[in-house]
Amino acid sequence: MSVTESATIPAEPAVRRLTTARAMVEGIAQEMDRDPGIVVLGEDVAKYGGIFSSTTGLLDRFGPQRVLDTPISETAFVGLGIGAAVEGMRPIVELMFVDFFGVCMDQIYNHMAKIHYESGGNVKVPMVLMTAVGGGYSDAEQHSQCLWGTFAHLPGMKVVVPSNPADAKGLMISAIRDDNPVVYMFHKGVMGLPWMAKNPRSVMAVPAEPYETPIGKAAVAREGRDATVVTLSLSVHHALDVAEQMATEDGAELEVIDLRSLVPLDRETVLASVAKTGHLLVVDEDYRSFGLSGEIAATVAETDPGLLRVPLRRVAVPDVPIPYARSLEQAVLPVPGRIRAAARELIGA
Amino acid sequence: MRAADVVFPPLSQDQPDAEGVLATWFVADGDQVAKGQLLGEVMVEKVSGEVHAPASGHVRLLVAEEQTARQGEVIALVE
Repeated sequence: MSVTESATIPAEPAVRRLTTARAMVEGIAQEMDRDPGIVVLGEDVAKYGGIFSSTTGLLDRFGPQRVLDTPISETAFVGLGIGAAVEGMRPIVELMFVDFFGVCMDQIYNHMAKIHYESGGNVKVPMVLMTAVGGGYSDAEQHSQCLWGTFAHLPGMKVVVPSNPADAKGLMISAIRDDNPVVYMFHKGVMGLPWMAKNPRSVMAVPAEPYETPIGKAAVAREGRDATVVTLSLSVHHALDVAEQMATEDGAELEVIDLRSLVPLDRETVLASVAKTGHLLVVDEDYRSFGLSGEIAATVAETDPGLLRVPLRRVAVPDVPIPYARSLEQAVLPVPGRIRAAARELIGA
Repeated sequence: MRAADVVFPPLSQDQPDAEGVLATWFVADGDQVAKGQLLGEVMVEKVSGEVHAPASGHVRLLVAEEQTARQGEVIALVE
């Protein structure tokens, strides 16, 4: 559009932007409008609106019969959600921090994830277990983990991890409509919360109508010819920042793959990108060993190790608990500096 | 038509002139907005609040994201 044209055209209605947190809430609310069987329960999800604003305003809109604050017993309320799902409702259960999974893993893994199998497919468990993940704000060992590799490792649950507002809404709607249990993991750093570090990529245009983002389909967040960066969640934002910087300063074009789902895992998109670039860097905010980065490496090795022109690189959390001290925490997280150093090493820049 | 003031909402009751931060604008300067539309999010200490359009029209943003402003201060106009 030329300058003259833009001056004469009347202003169009503004593109509506939302934070990731608001996009999630909008997705939940639109589904609750459609289906009275959808309820939301968990610690501080009603009156407080979710400590990371994942349920803000739902109590006022849908009332205490459908938006329930629960006592601090994860075993009890995750179990309550499973029972409701088995009986035909579609509960959304919030586990405040994924780190708390330890006290309710029997409900999650031995019941939520297995009932469908144990019943020979006769009983469905259409529930969403949503949970906050990730570090970077000095919340220490028990409130900073990602742990998506742990959930993705255990069969019976779908696992989705949105990185931005539009996917957060679409994946929430897909998760609610899915007949399987879906673990929905949102990083606190992508929510667009006013009291967290400013993250410009956590606010974007989001379609107003309900829509589904397909579970099991990765997104090419940025196209590039020189190297493939496979990542997810907040690390997508860091990888995009690094890619922009390297395009200018190193003349290198990184392709950034946002996995979005871990179960099912979109291996085809990863392989197609690696076949194109011949260089692979996996960036994962979960622990390094026995996890996502190893799974991506194995996927390439099992298909055709010859796709890689040089050995792949991994930037992940070394196998230590996330430290409280800011300097130590920044040393273990996949921060942009670590991503850039690994990417430059990978392409020989 | 006279412009409608968009003011920083009172989030702290104890301190009427408390200083806060403009956290996020959901609209861009010059955008057409509808009355009641969510324009932005502000914060005093760690309490956040919403800013809605008092009228329909074109919005003029007076305070940038991450800048400070006092409660009651005019932070945007709708013309």
